[in-house]
Amino acid sequence: MSDISKSSRSGNTVWRSFIYIVLILSALFTLIPFAWMLSSSLKLDKDVFRFPIEWIPKHPRWSNYKEIWRTIPLGRFIFNTAKLTVIVTFLQMLTSSFAAYAFSKLNFRFKNALFLCYISTIAMPWQVYMVPQFIMMRSFHLNNTHLAIICLQAFSAFGVFLMRQFYQSIPDELCEAARIDGMSEYRIWGKIMLPLSKPALSTLLIFSFVGTWNDFLGPMIYLTKTELKTIQIGLRMFITQYSSDYGLIMAASVVVLIPVLIVFLSLQKFFVEGIASTGLKG
Amino acid sequence: MKKTFAVIAALFILTGAGFANGQKDAPSPKGTVTLKWALWDYAQTVYYKPLIEAFEAAHPDIKIEPLDLGSTDYQTMLSTQLTGGDSSIDVVTIKDIPGYATLVKAGQLLALNDYVKSAKVDLSQYNGAAEQMTVDGKLYELPFRSDFRVVFYNKDLFDKAGVPYPPNDMTWDQYDALARKMTSGSGAGKVYGAHYHVWRSIVQCEAILDGKHTVVVPPYDFMKPYYERVLKEQKDGVCMDYAELKTTSTHYSGVFYNNSVAMMEMGSWFISTLANQIAQGKTEVRNWGIVRLPHAQGVKPGTTVGTLTGIGISTASKHRAEAGEFVQFLTGERAAEILAKTGNYPGILNDTTAGILAGMKGFPQDANSRESLKTAKIYLEIAYSDKSPQIEAALNRAHDNIMTLNCTLDEGIAQMNKDVTGILSK
Amino acid sequence: MTAAELSVGSLKGRRIKDNLVAYSFILPNFLGFAVFTLGPILFAVYLAFTQWNGSGPITFVGLKNFRDLASDSLFLIALKNTLVYCAAVVPLTVISSLFLAVMLNQKIFARNFFRTVNFFPYVASLVAVAVVWNMLFNPAKGPVNQLLSLLGVPDDRLPRWAADRNWALFTVILFSVWKNTGYYMIIYLAGLQGISQQLYEAATLDGAGRRQQFTYITLPQLRPTTFFVVVMLTIQSFKVYDQIYMITQAGPGTATLVLVYHIYNTAFVDWNLGYASAVAMVLFLLVLAVTLVQFRGEKKYANE
Repeated sequence: MSDISKSSRSGNTVWRSFIYIVLILSALFTLIPFAWMLSSSLKLDKDVFRFPIEWIPKHPRWSNYKEIWRTIPLGRFIFNTAKLTVIVTFLQMLTSSFAAYAFSKLNFRFKNALFLCYISTIAMPWQVYMVPQFIMMRSFHLNNTHLAIICLQAFSAFGVFLMRQFYQSIPDELCEAARIDGMSEYRIWGKIMLPLSKPALSTLLIFSFVGTWNDFLGPMIYLTKTELKTIQIGLRMFITQYSSDYGLIMAASVVVLIPVLIVFLSLQKFFVEGIASTGLKG
Repeated sequence: MKKTFAVIAALFILTGAGFANGQKDAPSPKGTVTLKWALWDYAQTVYYKPLIEAFEAAHPDIKIEPLDLGSTDYQTMLSTQLTGGDSSIDVVTIKDIPGYATLVKAGQLLALNDYVKSAKVDLSQYNGAAEQMTVDGKLYELPFRSDFRVVFYNKDLFDKAGVPYPPNDMTWDQYDALARKMTSGSGAGKVYGAHYHVWRSIVQCEAILDGKHTVVVPPYDFMKPYYERVLKEQKDGVCMDYAELKTTSTHYSGVFYNNSVAMMEMGSWFISTLANQIAQGKTEVRNWGIVRLPHAQGVKPGTTVGTLTGIGISTASKHRAEAGEFVQFLTGERAAEILAKTGNYPGILNDTTAGILAGMKGFPQDANSRESLKTAKIYLEIAYSDKSPQIEAALNRAHDNIMTLNCTLDEGIAQMNKDVTGILSK
Repeated sequence: MTAAELSVGSLKGRRIKDNLVAYSFILPNFLGFAVFTLGPILFAVYLAFTQWNGSGPITFVGLKNFRDLASDSLFLIALKNTLVYCAAVVPLTVISSLFLAVMLNQKIFARNFFRTVNFFPYVASLVAVAVVWNMLFNPAKGPVNQLLSLLGVPDDRLPRWAADRNWALFTVILFSVWKNTGYYMIIYLAGLQGISQQLYEAATLDGAGRRQQFTYITLPQLRPTTFFVVVMLTIQSFKVYDQIYMITQAGPGTATLVLVYHIYNTAFVDWNLGYASAVAMVLFLLVLAVTLVQFRGEKKYANE
């Protein structure tokens, strides 16, 4: 026993050093661009693309961070984006996990056909049906409303697919046991599946959040009134017909990155929680 | 627990839905008509507000509501908004010729001939622009802004090198020689004699100034000498490398502000931007001037390339009469003066407007610069053709390949000939 | 209720009740999906057999659009580029994201920090990130080429990355892998969390080493997750547009022209919506074929 633990300990050290080296390298690889973003956010547009790259600007323009709020109504855009993101994310999580339970744990007619239908629509590039969709939404008088964006994003095939795959890894026996105990399917979903799928739900939450937060094409087409616009459209307002201010674009990009990071960090603990397979003994 | 969850969810969705309904269009006060005007960069452009205010003051029963569709994908956005015969947009700003062609082909612009006749609009005040916009005898837009190309030069760099400023009458060879003389240094402090922004029109349109060719009719061998000159300058380090400019999305303004280029071909819109930025202290360049574009042998100096921004009326608009009045205002004398006062070049460029423009704060005070505002003939950077969007796409691809040295000049031109001939034959 | 107690009649009734219950689960999502997404998609499918410019009348033209596809050189180039892109991006991303997820599933110092950092590229705005990438890969002065130069590559052999016809697609592929690794790493992390610790404990007791545990426990248990990752990557690779637009604008020439880019140009520059739909149909059928193959593979495994 002690021989095994001794060799596994030294094997462990080699393995752990390898992990750290790889992680540090990949972190650097990922952080360098972010460092460039930060440094550019403190420069004038004409200096952003100068070579050699001036990592620490001689005269940092902290005023860029003030200017972004004045040049475009960034505060309003952030509020709009936050509102859309929260609503869409919530609806996605609710309806996707609900539907995914049926696809994963229940048997019903047309199950496979419907599921394939869901996945295959993900394959359609949005550019293709954008115009018919736009004309339809306009006929519903949903043009220039946030409700339009919500309707388009909240009922995603992607969410259903993700949750269904995750539910596949939850043993069927858990549900069977609950059914024998007399639980209705709805209670099984609420009391068993939901709590067990915290990692998947947090994953869906993050993707939904980031997807809606960074969404560009939808808001651009449906929201033409300035007071309804979102962050991504706002960023592009720094590029006008005759000029572009990348210093401001970078500053704004840094600012809008913060809420996303906060959401991500606060969900970390759900990734740490192991699955409670203690429901099954033996 | 599940019940409360459901109740909260329902409440959330209901409030969210109600909240998300967005602002319904505020109904116009009785008797007034509200016109929606599609444009771009509303907050960043100085002349929109004065124009709207001046018009509303003169027409108390018409209100103008601007609709900012963004500059970057303006044409796509505009066409999308107009699909299916949508009537929410009344007056349309048209960014360029391909955009104009797209709108005309889709039947989304109203023909203005009758209106021009009844309102007695004098088309000659636009210096020939209206004729170039006429399609099969019908005119679908009136010129709002007319920008033309000049050469910007950095006086400080010329002084430092002890080289006399470029004259108003240069041939392309003289321009080339001057650029080579002005190229100096290396590394971060290098000065490039000339600068060519990445647009295909910068190089390709040099070739149409003798009036014998247009950009929409192949074969394109007439462009060869101009490409050869620019490619050689690029190879010899007289101008910046196209590939680098493209991949870093380098804006032409930045390199001029940085004292990195001595001369640059660019449009007249840059004049007010440049003066503005210098006044705000955001540039290193201080003294600059403009001269006329170089010309080929036998071509009159002052012949230059131009772009037109037009104003039109949407066919689906429910307020044609009022829209017509607004269009007439925007393309008339009064608007031209407002544009000129803010340093922008209106469709009507006569002595009055030229005088206002030359008197603008920050406009270079030397005689050559003032003289260069008087153009002899303006050729549109891409002539009207109902296939001009596709032609432009094909020309862009070839330009990209040629300038990044991914193919030889002959191969590039052959590709252009082949592609455009194919497009025109469909 | 045992099987013996069920009569034939109530079995059928039960079946119907089961179906209804299942449909009630799907309904909220499906209703929204059907109205707002499925409807327009079906209309777009119909458009593939018509000619329409968005404003005028819609004229039925049968299979004409599809016949034109065969002689459209831009379409063929786009198809080739898309297939190459997909074939490179999918395996590279799967490997890198799985690798990182396994690393970051261990108890290591500053684990949260590393997880967050790897997620950055996915989360940051595309405009900013693409600009950064182009800066780093600048042909003459970018850090990447400077590093290659230091390593001894002669100046005229340095790849010109996004400006080079032969390297442009590769540049975009690298960018996509870099940007999306964090995204799929998260998915793999969630999947890894779903693997019971007891399996690993049992294996360690049996004397299985790290590599064996990975091959015989981790990988098989991750099958549903891997299926998801591969399908999503495949679909996203076929649909790629934003990255191409930001980095190379389908250039130089047509070196990075992909299917959706061609669709976009046909739809919003030429306003030939019928033809654009036809191209999309081809894209869709391709993806469907690939997905079906993968789907069959998963079903076969699930039934083992």
